[in-house]
Amino acid sequence: MVDFAKELRRYFQDHWRNLLFGLLSVSAFLVAWHLYSYYLESTDSDFAKYVPAPGVVADAFMGWFSDPDPGTSVWVDVHVVASLKRIFLGFVLALAVAIPTGLLMGSLRMADALGKPIVEIFRPIPPIAWIPIFLVVFGNWGAVAIVFLGIFFPILLNVQLGVRSVDPVLIDAARTLGANRGQVFTKVIIPFLIPYMMTGIKVGLGVGWMCIVAAEMVGGSTGVGSLIRISSDLGLFPHMYAAMVLIGILSVLTTGVAALFERRLSKWMGMR
Amino acid sequence: MDKKILMAIVVAAVVVVAVVAAAFILRPEGRTGTVYYDTSITVPNMKAALSTGLIDGFISWEPFVSEASMDDTGEVLMWSSEMMPNHPCCVVVASTNFLETEDGPDLTKRFLKAHMDATEWMLTANQDHDSAEYTLLVTLAQEFTLRNSSVVSAAMSHLEYKYEMDSSFTTALEEFTDMYIDLNITTNAAIADMGYDSVSDFADSYANETLLAEAGDIEPSSTILGTVRLGYLVGDIHQMAQFVANDPRVLDGDKSIFEKYGLEVAAAEGAPFSSGGAEMDAFVAGDVDIGYLGAPPAIVKHLNGGAKTTIVAQANIEGSGLVVAKNSGIESLDDLVNKTIAVPNVSSIQFLLLKIALEERGYDFVVKSS
Repeated sequence: MVDFAKELRRYFQDHWRNLLFGLLSVSAFLVAWHLYSYYLESTDSDFAKYVPAPGVVADAFMGWFSDPDPGTSVWVDVHVVASLKRIFLGFVLALAVAIPTGLLMGSLRMADALGKPIVEIFRPIPPIAWIPIFLVVFGNWGAVAIVFLGIFFPILLNVQLGVRSVDPVLIDAARTLGANRGQVFTKVIIPFLIPYMMTGIKVGLGVGWMCIVAAEMVGGSTGVGSLIRISSDLGLFPHMYAAMVLIGILSVLTTGVAALFERRLSKWMGMR
Repeated sequence: MDKKILMAIVVAAVVVVAVVAAAFILRPEGRTGTVYYDTSITVPNMKAALSTGLIDGFISWEPFVSEASMDDTGEVLMWSSEMMPNHPCCVVVASTNFLETEDGPDLTKRFLKAHMDATEWMLTANQDHDSAEYTLLVTLAQEFTLRNSSVVSAAMSHLEYKYEMDSSFTTALEEFTDMYIDLNITTNAAIADMGYDSVSDFADSYANETLLAEAGDIEPSSTILGTVRLGYLVGDIHQMAQFVANDPRVLDGDKSIFEKYGLEVAAAEGAPFSSGGAEMDAFVAGDVDIGYLGAPPAIVKHLNGGAKTTIVAQANIEGSGLVVAKNSGIESLDDLVNKTIAVPNVSSIQFLLLKIALEERGYDFVVKSS
């Protein structure tokens, strides 16, 4: 505990300038937002209520801790859990399919020749384009399928790249030490892949959040994305903005958890 | 990122989850019996969702109710007219910015005159199913809703086209607003913010009866006097009046009813809209002069979103229904406990009516958490 406090203090000492500037720019943004909202209100603009002041949005956000959400009449945790569940499922599915496929396509020429055209055709299509179809064909799993699609390609491509980039010297060294093919795979290639995989995961998570919000906005009953749409439908704009803030917070938290996981994994694999 | 900072973020995440879980556990208990709703299915897809068992029932507007009951997918448990007799449904809304332009009031009155003529034409046609007018009406309804003739025939028998705004209309507006306040969707503060003294003051003032009354005196015009940008919902048979008024076949000639009164009516940018809420957004963006939509979004987006609009006529009453799967064993609202019903969206009148009906029986109507 004392150690942690010392480290925190050290961090502030080293980074105080950055923190100060960060604080200044965020404050400036909030002030500008407040002024714009005030301007719209005082000139009786048609869309004054569409840009509520930061204070009102904060009130709506804090209101979620004491009452159910007005637009959906359930507590906000229902929505948070729903979105997190979908992202987690889509993420795990994407990992389960993309890693083996990436390994295959990266190491076997035949697999690459077979898979490449299909990947190249589907990769440029934004996952969001599939929303209307998936929501009907996959029903309740539609949003999960969209997240899967969004996370799948970054991971696939990065794993492929990682397999291809393995330093041949390392493989030779392992062979010289008597490793068989399987051991080369598990002791050399897979640990080497970890940074590439993590890049894919980080990109994938970002895309995944965009996908889940978009899918829920189009056709969701629960979830932070549908919170946005439903609040907007009912003219509850402070809650709509609060939902956007909520998504930002959740996104930072999930990326933080993923990065921590990377640390653990690297340590376990002996990379650190 | 430094490991310690990462730990701090994870600890923060755990704390947030713990606080949320505590709030969740400590919240007050719900009432006996909960019915669940799902807003993730679009209205045209509700019938399919019902037949695959994804949902136990759905409530939507015609012609989708008749469509599901006529091909044996489902049966109608309750018509919206049984939930609230003569309930207002779709209304004609005008932008107050449009009304403040020089030609605004005159063009609006011409529009209303055309709306009244079209409505009366439909009412007369509906009285005699053997008449040529009725055949034309069914054809027009097919073209507008893209459903077959028997479906649209049945659909039109379950609603009534009506343009007058009488005292029962104002009372209904008041009841809807009170319900929204109960649901915490709008507040007395929002009503006061828009300049009304109370809910009844709002209900009285929001509907502008003068224009409709004066529209009766409008005479046809041989020249086009102005353009109106029109908003309406996709395939909504409640809003047939605008489709009828725009079609030259109705007057047996080469002029539509709109043109007869000197109006050029063009679809607004973004029309046809997928929901009343989207149409109200278009009003605020300045894209719509006059539009057809449901009364609830017209209320909610005016009070919460500050939309500068006013109701200038009704379009129809009733015309929605609650459908359950055939042979499901569901015979009354009481049988809906723990079942899932699809609704178009939370700002729809279908949701509001069902919510009112269930609340009367002491049931909660809550979103289904997946």
